[in-house]
Amino acid sequence: MSESKKVLIIDDDRDFAHAIEALLQSSGYQVRCACNGRDGLHLAKTLRPDLILLDIMMTERTEGFFMLQEARRVPELSQTPVIVVSSIYADQPIFRVSPEAGWLPADLFLPKPVDPARLLAEIRRLTDAAYSPISHAAGGRRES
Amino acid sequence: MKILKIPKQNLDLFVAVLPAFGEVYAPVMRGKGFAFDRPAFWSDVQMKYPRTILPPKKFLLPPREATFAFNPKGGYRNLLEEAAKPIVLFGVHAYDIFGLNILDRVFSQGKYVDPYYAARRQSTTIIGVDFEPDDKHFAYSMNADFVDSGFDLFLSDIGEDYLVLVGTSRGDDIVLMSGCLLQEPAKADFDEYKRRSGLRRSAYRTRLELGELPEILEMEYHSKVWDEMGERCLSCGSCSAVCPTCYCFDVNDELELKDGAGSRIRSWDSCLFRTHALVAGGENFRSSRASRIKFRYYHKQRGFVAEYGRPSCVGCGRCVITCPAKIDIVTVIETIRGERNESSSSITATA
Repeated sequence: MSESKKVLIIDDDRDFAHAIEALLQSSGYQVRCACNGRDGLHLAKTLRPDLILLDIMMTERTEGFFMLQEARRVPELSQTPVIVVSSIYADQPIFRVSPEAGWLPADLFLPKPVDPARLLAEIRRLTDAAYSPISHAAGGRRES
Repeated sequence: MKILKIPKQNLDLFVAVLPAFGEVYAPVMRGKGFAFDRPAFWSDVQMKYPRTILPPKKFLLPPREATFAFNPKGGYRNLLEEAAKPIVLFGVHAYDIFGLNILDRVFSQGKYVDPYYAARRQSTTIIGVDFEPDDKHFAYSMNADFVDSGFDLFLSDIGEDYLVLVGTSRGDDIVLMSGCLLQEPAKADFDEYKRRSGLRRSAYRTRLELGELPEILEMEYHSKVWDEMGERCLSCGSCSAVCPTCYCFDVNDELELKDGAGSRIRSWDSCLFRTHALVAGGENFRSSRASRIKFRYYHKQRGFVAEYGRPSCVGCGRCVITCPAKIDIVTVIETIRGERNESSSSITATA
């Protein structure tokens, strides 16, 4: 199983982060958390996680978007699977640009609130040794 | 030309999706100045800045680039593809876009097209933004305070919103992708745009008279002003490096001592450098500093007019700010025109 897999949660919603942290730990994952993009990027560089769970609206409304672009420039993080978990489309109705339009270098976009079982299944899939990261230049996949 | 507007509060979301068109570079703080660089976060992006240290030419004509590589085993490898990496330059001022338009005429619209420059220009998306002139800008005098081409989108501050001019089909693609963030402007927005344009024009404190300048330069070829400038100029080449339209370059082959592999390197040069006009046999056509700085002025203000119908200066003021000897192009030209006394103090910038 995935005892040795490391997941980094970057989210300023501490309740959400702690809930997902508990869920993942009970499933055998090592979990670290950061509550903003700058700390998250720094931690990602040192931790080299097997997967990143990334929020978008943190200190800044687009913080996760910018942080993800920056992370993809770091060679060690360029292929790390990233699941964006955000309520941005619900909270910012004016923002309707699809994550599949080629600008978001994530493996998957999941809107909040997220189904824990679904999230766990996606994390298992993406941290599976057989998983090949998508071409991040092609953008992410949006699922509802 | 299609015209839209974008509320300032939507700009962070707009910039967040620009990576669909390439790696985004924007004006960010670097020390006490500004530079086009990758913003780590939206709050890094500076929408109001006087000028960047280096102009955007650094992306299209890099300070140093390998044009091709070679080795005895693998042969020749053209590095043109690497030059064509898509990028987005966000927040470029009009005079810098004007500077790129001038470089276009030299590198991609003339008899000989430079494939490296042309590939970069083709893959570069340019989004301009207006600016408030400071006491070193004289772009209005150089007719470079406004551009009607050379950009994909251009943003003009009209208060709560930016008016967005769509300059190309690529700009239209950006609009289509992020269309929900943009809106149709109203007549009041156009009125505000016109009002602010007028204010911006009248805000220029530094002005330069260009009329008959090529002829006056011809008459003043032997003026002692050039000797005075030669005494002051350090030939450091800083003015060339920061100039949006200086494009001299040198080419060298660099070899690995071990296996004979190497690459051809193109790097910025400057007509201020002692070796710029040095040729085989040791002859130097511009061996004195005075002759070199005079050449620079004559090339930009007279030679370029003869070749392309306008001077290559865009009035950004970077050379004035950067010159360690405080040589000021505006006062030099005023002196040459006879509007100032010919003394060494007259060609230096005032603090």
